[in-house]
Amino acid sequence: MSQLRRHPKRIFWATLALMMLGAQSVWAGSSAAPQPMHIMEGYLPLPWAIFWWLVALPFWVIGFIQIRKLLREKPEQRLLLGLSGGFVFVLSALKLPSVTGSSSHPTGTGLGTLLFGPFVVTILGTIALVFQALLLAHGGISTLGANTFSMAIGGPLVAYYLVWKPLKNRVPTWLAVFLTAVAADWVTYVITSTELALAFPDPQSGFLGSFITFAGIFAVTQIPLAIAEGILIVLVFNALQSSAPEELAELGIEGSAA
Amino acid sequence: MHLIDQYAYSNALRRLHPGIKAGLALTIILLCLTLNEPAVGMVAALWMLGLAVGLARIPFRTFAGILLAEGTFLLLATIAVILSFSLHPSVLVGGWGIGVGPIWVSTSPASLYMGANLILRALGAASAMNFLSLTTPLVDLIDLLHRLHMPAIIIDLMTLMYRFIFVLLESLERMVRAQDSRLGFSGSYRRRMENTAWLATHLFIEAFLRSRNLQQALASRGYDGGDLRVLPIEYETDRRLLVLGLVGILSLVAVWWLV
Repeated sequence: MSQLRRHPKRIFWATLALMMLGAQSVWAGSSAAPQPMHIMEGYLPLPWAIFWWLVALPFWVIGFIQIRKLLREKPEQRLLLGLSGGFVFVLSALKLPSVTGSSSHPTGTGLGTLLFGPFVVTILGTIALVFQALLLAHGGISTLGANTFSMAIGGPLVAYYLVWKPLKNRVPTWLAVFLTAVAADWVTYVITSTELALAFPDPQSGFLGSFITFAGIFAVTQIPLAIAEGILIVLVFNALQSSAPEELAELGIEGSAA
Repeated sequence: MHLIDQYAYSNALRRLHPGIKAGLALTIILLCLTLNEPAVGMVAALWMLGLAVGLARIPFRTFAGILLAEGTFLLLATIAVILSFSLHPSVLVGGWGIGVGPIWVSTSPASLYMGANLILRALGAASAMNFLSLTTPLVDLIDLLHRLHMPAIIIDLMTLMYRFIFVLLESLERMVRAQDSRLGFSGSYRRRMENTAWLATHLFIEAFLRSRNLQQALASRGYDGGDLRVLPIEYETDRRLLVLGLVGILSLVAVWWLV
């Protein structure tokens, strides 16, 4: 005891680490409980809920126009697109092995972005979010704008334009794929933390203090999971290239929608 | 997921027009957000629980269980709102604080009230959402969006996704069982990861092949692209839900007025 008292710093970090591990396993362990990646129904104050709906709106329009164009050129892709949306949704139900023994779920948007391009993922991701709200009681309608912006707009766009496009031909493909998937997953959580910190700034330390707290809960615990998702997507991408090259060609991968 | 979907098709309000149920749920959510009072959220949650158990015949334990899971999650998520962390000891008016290592953790009656309000408001809104999803099959809601003139492309994507989520989940379960019975998930981290990757890959290939089969099946029936058409669904109306829903909405406003 006396020895513990002499190292308050060590105790603090140990407690923090335990809390994070605990929180992570609570969230990841039970599939029935809502996962932490979406902001729940009614959680955001009305002005912020409306704000994020308005922010998401132009991206929905762009995504819709792109899909309409795609379907006018290739009408037979309608079914494939629906199936792909189902695939992205089911992928997020997949258990991801993680080092600590607990398991988590990939966001699926990284692979979706690589396969179909970011704006198509915006539409498919939004539908997936609506379904998650209705079928899994996970996320919500008033918070749909905010959740769409973090998972189906911000993550895919950053991953595609800031990671995938600049890196595609400069580094080995596996590395570009890995970083794209990690970015799509992780940026989602950073944006979620930002949205929460903007809505609930700390009374003392303001936006920054509350951002650090939310990021500590969401974004930091997510780092190992984002890496795990990155590894998984690299393996999936390689396997797809070796066992389904024709299908990938038909989708027009590697430069899809670009 | 199967649980919610199952009740959506088997509850006593199944045949009711989805516009009534969705309208009620959205009004309650909007009221919870605009009135922004802890008591309103609590009353809303009780109303939705009552309507779901009384009119839709959803078992009490199911609805309360979902609310409990959501409440637990909310409690965890709200810690960051209730507690504030800073590097310098400072306490808000009437607040309390302790030092933990280099960081000063504090809270105040105002943040406690804010946290409680947040949890109850979200619970009220979430229970309205639960009511909607437990009483209304997704096909009815997609049909409702169609009647509200949502573009046909989006309606088709939603219909296809909804159908194939369950088809693909079934294949996923089958593949997991096959891998598991061959010790696919008991081994090194590397092996578990590789197996999961094969799972996702074959799921993608299966999704692709299924879409091609569906394409052929539709083409052989004369489909040449364009919007998919299905017969409209017919609904009933139920005056009890209309009346009780209206009373519920008025009671929320009354509670807000009184508090």
